[in-house]
Amino acid sequence: MAATFFGEVVRAPCRAGTEDEEEEEEEGRRETPEDGEVRQQLARKREVRLLRRQTKTTLEVSLLEKYPCSKFIIAIGNNAVAFLSSFIMNSGVWEEVGCAKLWNEWCRTVDTTHLSPTEAFCVFYHLKSNPLVVLCQCSCYVAEDQQYQWLEKVFGSCPRKNVQVTILTCRHVTDYKTSESTSSLHTPFLKALKTQNFREPPCCSLLEQPNIVHDLPAAVLSYCQVWKISAILYLCYTDVMKLDLITVEAFKPVLSSRSLKSLVKNIPQSTEILKKLMTTNEIQSNIYT
Amino acid sequence: MASQYDRAITVFSPDGHLFQVEYAQEAVKKGSTVVGIRGTDIVVLGVEKKSVAKLQDERTVRKICALDDHVCMAFAGLTADARVVISRACVECQSHKLTVEDPVTVEYITRFIATLKQKYTQSNGRRPFGISALIVGFDDDGIPRLYQTDPSGTYHAWKANAIGRSAKTVQEFLEKNYTEDAIANDSEAIKLAIRALLEVVQSGGKNIELAIIRRNQPLKMFSAKEIELQVNETGKEKEEAEKKKSKKTA
Repeated sequence: MAATFFGEVVRAPCRAGTEDEEEEEEEGRRETPEDGEVRQQLARKREVRLLRRQTKTTLEVSLLEKYPCSKFIIAIGNNAVAFLSSFIMNSGVWEEVGCAKLWNEWCRTVDTTHLSPTEAFCVFYHLKSNPLVVLCQCSCYVAEDQQYQWLEKVFGSCPRKNVQVTILTCRHVTDYKTSESTSSLHTPFLKALKTQNFREPPCCSLLEQPNIVHDLPAAVLSYCQVWKISAILYLCYTDVMKLDLITVEAFKPVLSSRSLKSLVKNIPQSTEILKKLMTTNEIQSNIYT
Repeated sequence: MASQYDRAITVFSPDGHLFQVEYAQEAVKKGSTVVGIRGTDIVVLGVEKKSVAKLQDERTVRKICALDDHVCMAFAGLTADARVVISRACVECQSHKLTVEDPVTVEYITRFIATLKQKYTQSNGRRPFGISALIVGFDDDGIPRLYQTDPSGTYHAWKANAIGRSAKTVQEFLEKNYTEDAIANDSEAIKLAIRALLEVVQSGGKNIELAIIRRNQPLKMFSAKEIELQVNETGKEKEEAEKKKSKKTA
């Protein structure tokens, strides 16, 4: 027991602990039915669902089981998404095969048919002329507790090994740890991190220690490493996290990789599409001038 | 460590950072590029125009503002903060004129703006202004001036500088190309500003706004046609210079 300055007597914490204390703690820990219901409601709300937007029906199996592919390209974050939209998606006709619907404290995905660059979404496409190429554009934030669900719904519990995964994402340059002076860094710049099974040479230098990857890109890469899938992550360090032309163009070296080379058709047209995306995005906000 | 010391403006971190001020400097990078050049008899301000929505009146989105007849300012960062700073600076210019019967010097008004910004880094319950400004003008002695202020409240005089998005690229260009020849006359200084902006502005002349002040003359804003003319001239000169270079190497 201990007494506070104001004369109230409080229980002093005891490291030894006693049986009585343990029982009392357990009672406190035991959930009430209301707590259980709230927890279940929250779990249901945070469930990641894969569905087809047109029919609003849920996919019964994982995405890559329903649409097996040899190339899977994932863009996470608005700059990576803009890069794929401008340089890859104009190369042919892409058919939407599903979208992920999720909710967390940071974002709520929309499932309207016309998506604007400022909205949060996670949509999957395959190339109509070669359905073995699947692409994912994910501009929403997938929380830690939802990442494994996302992976299961997309890859399945026993993924095929003959798929090559390419992940594109961005991170703020303040997260980049280096012994050089930060003023000497020419942002934006690209770094790569790959799984053991990825044999090709990467399009840029590898990410040095002690830098680490976070969030969904890290989850996908770890999953691929565990399941021995060939995967590479291209991480663009930038000082402008919002949609930015120079950051998007920093991904251009990736166009020479084997996964993407065959998908690039018309670069001047891509640059025009990118400029349009930028203008649409800039117009939305009047906060900065 | 940052998360413990970055919420309150009045708290230093153990390694001496004022994180809110540093975050305010990040807000400046979200604004479009501004370049300022100090010539021999001219000062030039060039900005990358922000795209406006179809139904929005373009005139309400202005990055270059006159503080007085002989001083003008361009900013990058939070629009609303800029409006407040500009308004206070304009009032101070008039107040100074009424009190001492002389117009402000460029350095005086820069120091006023910088002091205002510094006060907001040391008050509880406030946040720093999220803008950097380039202030140009001529003093009574006829010498052209260019100053830059930032959210921390510091100010420095420059021969040429850039702020806002991609400022580093433009600064590197200016370091290489700001020579005595480049500012030999007024039109060369204007072309230098345009060339610097074209390093980062993608869509050419239609997204550029230009303003100049010449000695004993008021602020002149270039019209879209004049800017297009200048951009075309600059483009032609660049092509000719490249042709000469390729002839030499051949």
